[in-house]
Amino acid sequence: MVFSPGEPKAPTAALMEKTLHLMHDGLNARAFGEFPKPEALGDARWTDDLILATWFMAETGEVPENFNYMTGRSNGGFDRLDFKFKPEAEWLEHGEHLDTKLNLNRREDGRRQLTPDLPIYGGGMSYGSVSVNVMMARARNAKRWNSFMSTGEGGYPPELYELKENVITQVATGYFGVEEKSIQATPIVEFKYAQGAKPGLGGHLLAAKAGEEVAKIRGSVPFVSLFSPFPFHSTYSVEDHMKHIDWIQTVNPEALISVKVSTPHDVDMVAVGSYYAGAHIIHLDGSYGGTGAAPEIAKKNIAMPIELAIPKVHKFLIKEGVRDKVTLIASGGIRTADDVAKAIALGADGVVFGTSDLVAMGCTRCSNCEGGPSGRGCPWGLTTTDIELKEWVQEDWGEERLYNFYSAVQWRLRDIMRKLGLDAIGDLRGRTDLLRYVAGGDA
Amino acid sequence: MVLAKEREPEQEVVIKMSEVESMGLQEARARADTYHRYHIDAKETEDLWKIPRRFNVKVGKFGLAKLIFKEFFKYFGHWETVFSRPCTYGVFSGPVGGFLPRPDLCVGCLRCEVQHPDFVTVTPNGELRALGDKYLTWQHISTIDEEARKGGVPVRGQGYRGRFGGPGFDGMFTDMSEIVRPSRDGIHGRELIGTQVDIGSKPMHLSFDSSGNLLNQPEMLTIQVPFIYSAPPKDLADDGVFKIMATAAAEIDSMALIPVDDVNRLSLGGANVAPIVNCAGCDVPKGTRMVELRSWNNQAHSELSAKGLLVSVAISMSEDWRSKLEEAIDGGASILHLYADHHGMDGEGGFLMDTLAEAHMSLVEKGIRDRVTLLGSGGVAGADHLPKAIISGLDAVGLDHALLIAIQARLTGDTQNRDSATVQLPKKLDIDWGRQRIVNLSCSWRDQMLEILGAMGVREVRRLRGEFGRSMRCAELEAEAFGDIEGFPGGDA
Repeated sequence: MVFSPGEPKAPTAALMEKTLHLMHDGLNARAFGEFPKPEALGDARWTDDLILATWFMAETGEVPENFNYMTGRSNGGFDRLDFKFKPEAEWLEHGEHLDTKLNLNRREDGRRQLTPDLPIYGGGMSYGSVSVNVMMARARNAKRWNSFMSTGEGGYPPELYELKENVITQVATGYFGVEEKSIQATPIVEFKYAQGAKPGLGGHLLAAKAGEEVAKIRGSVPFVSLFSPFPFHSTYSVEDHMKHIDWIQTVNPEALISVKVSTPHDVDMVAVGSYYAGAHIIHLDGSYGGTGAAPEIAKKNIAMPIELAIPKVHKFLIKEGVRDKVTLIASGGIRTADDVAKAIALGADGVVFGTSDLVAMGCTRCSNCEGGPSGRGCPWGLTTTDIELKEWVQEDWGEERLYNFYSAVQWRLRDIMRKLGLDAIGDLRGRTDLLRYVAGGDA
Repeated sequence: MVLAKEREPEQEVVIKMSEVESMGLQEARARADTYHRYHIDAKETEDLWKIPRRFNVKVGKFGLAKLIFKEFFKYFGHWETVFSRPCTYGVFSGPVGGFLPRPDLCVGCLRCEVQHPDFVTVTPNGELRALGDKYLTWQHISTIDEEARKGGVPVRGQGYRGRFGGPGFDGMFTDMSEIVRPSRDGIHGRELIGTQVDIGSKPMHLSFDSSGNLLNQPEMLTIQVPFIYSAPPKDLADDGVFKIMATAAAEIDSMALIPVDDVNRLSLGGANVAPIVNCAGCDVPKGTRMVELRSWNNQAHSELSAKGLLVSVAISMSEDWRSKLEEAIDGGASILHLYADHHGMDGEGGFLMDTLAEAHMSLVEKGIRDRVTLLGSGGVAGADHLPKAIISGLDAVGLDHALLIAIQARLTGDTQNRDSATVQLPKKLDIDWGRQRIVNLSCSWRDQMLEILGAMGVREVRRLRGEFGRSMRCAELEAEAFGDIEGFPGGDA
């Protein structure tokens, strides 16, 4: 009797039925605390409580009572910040009148006015690093929130066109899969200059994950490693950057332009430069953000965590007199509704979720996204295009979990807003006076 | 005076343009092929003793049997389904499947534990987590082991998992540049980034005689990596370790510091070994370019220098390190090797990064920074510590405990103080094996240095020395970001 992992092949109906049943039941049981917390689950940033709480929210659409769903224990940043709530007697009613919408176009340039229902949209995860099923689940969830999901740098799988109004086309340094058609289809084009988890290092899709479908969409050769270089080889100044934006605006005059950068010492200058080059959205990606694969040395050491970059950029944009003409988006370590509200209080307009989406769909943050010793990718079916493993995430199931999770996030955002006496999330922007730093002890 | 060009491997090839112009195609090709780009040859080198696995996996046999029994009927005929298990890594691939799991293969994805919460548990292995101490953690040890085994850059998925900022080296972030790169090839031109450093003294200006001949050449040597191998603890008088250090240093063109008696006894002398001496009277082998004086001694320094040797002066970072440093500089020392303890602490409770910055700035203020080389040892436990120590002011960094861990030494007892740790080496310490492990570690750390330099757009590591502006201190950033928030220590709210 050999229980071998065997060669990958498409799962039979029986295997699908068995695996999905066991997986879904298991996630449900863990979310409801029917068994002790797995000892090996979690880390300082994503604690066991945070992961289990996210699973609970993805199951129910509600916040849990038994898990800490607000903070990790990283001893700094968001985990050291708390809100200065008003006395209970002054709290507002919780309800839909509390406005959580986000305005993505503040330039008044006649382009689209895009206002997602939440101050959140989905960060780039490329086809190849994740499956079409995962992309579709995220895009379908985005549609339900009148929001967006970025393609990442991996091209635009044909299935996504049905959701094109909710899909951001990313143009990154390797130009993988960048086509006139996908640029014309999208409401937002995102230039990715850098990624927070590996700033200044570019990207690398391992050969094993660059299968035939992936290669076709990326315009490459199957099973050959694909490198996204760093930086854009056509951009060495703000003027070059402006040419980039001009090029996109010629192809799609309606699209908003987002510029995604990481968080170096001079991130404030970069942000202002991007604004003057024509960007509608400045997207800062902090150093503690997620990735499919990155050198360990880069994740912890290069550039600054997002909590420290947001106020720096926010204040500089005010000083330059352009703060109300550009939307500031933060990502890279935004895990919870509380993190979203804290990011906004520090000066962002909204945030991007990446890892949180994956955790909602079962990710345990085991760090084997690129496949680990098996080389096949994520055993949960998330960061893989393996013919068998990808089937463990079905679009409907993923969409529903994400919708539930986002519903719980919205509920908690409104809960925070009402306790602060605010009826619009936009009013929280830059309100550091509503935050408290919790010093001393372990946080 | 000892110059790098006197050594065989780096012998300079000078070609005049007139020669090039007169060359035929074949000759030009042959000449071009003599160009040698620096490269460290890493080779996978297995552990001598298996480092403890990351996880333990426990499977309840009754629960598994019950599952198989149930599925036997439910999926009758679909045997692959009945026998399929939720592991792509082979933990349940043994002859009796899950009844005898293979925890060595577990990567902690926890799919089995989530799918079968009633009979599978995966727990962190306490034996692994017991390694090291609060500074040199089990994560450092397992990472160094991986680097010494594979020689590559550790790459994993998902984001950072640790604490926000942190003490010591963790309190510094390195900078990056959004668009400026060392070459038009971007980071994939990283092989064009130089990691050479000079050890010795450069003249502050050039002097010529009336015939135009240069009078004051630099008194220095060049090594190919910004790190050297510091001497192992005094109690560890193991010939194998010395041989490993000397051969590895020669292979990568770095420098190994080894007590002079051991150098002579084992015939380890050469261009890449710096004997550690107490006085000028010690015999040093032919070919020696540099020695290290255990402490400042004006007379010994002069006599050794007069023999044409570069002399590094060891300075313990005890309470009076500033006066010792000053005395050595005033006495003409051009290479200063500062030793903190193995947790990177100086004698006043300060951390290496701050102490080095102070030493570096004192030399800058005196206007002699390029006349003096600063080496530093202590507390370098991870690849990220290298660039951070250089940013703090070092020219080159001394590796100590990391080398021992690379050759799978087990350190017990007090690992903070120099020479007080008990070191247990693998029983059959093979020299070639050990050399390759150290070479692999060096390759991995150099490559990780290139990642940091590439992200910054810095073309060579020499330019990183004392570049505080290309780093960010977490504490300073926090004060800037959170200073107006109520409760922030020292803030204005």
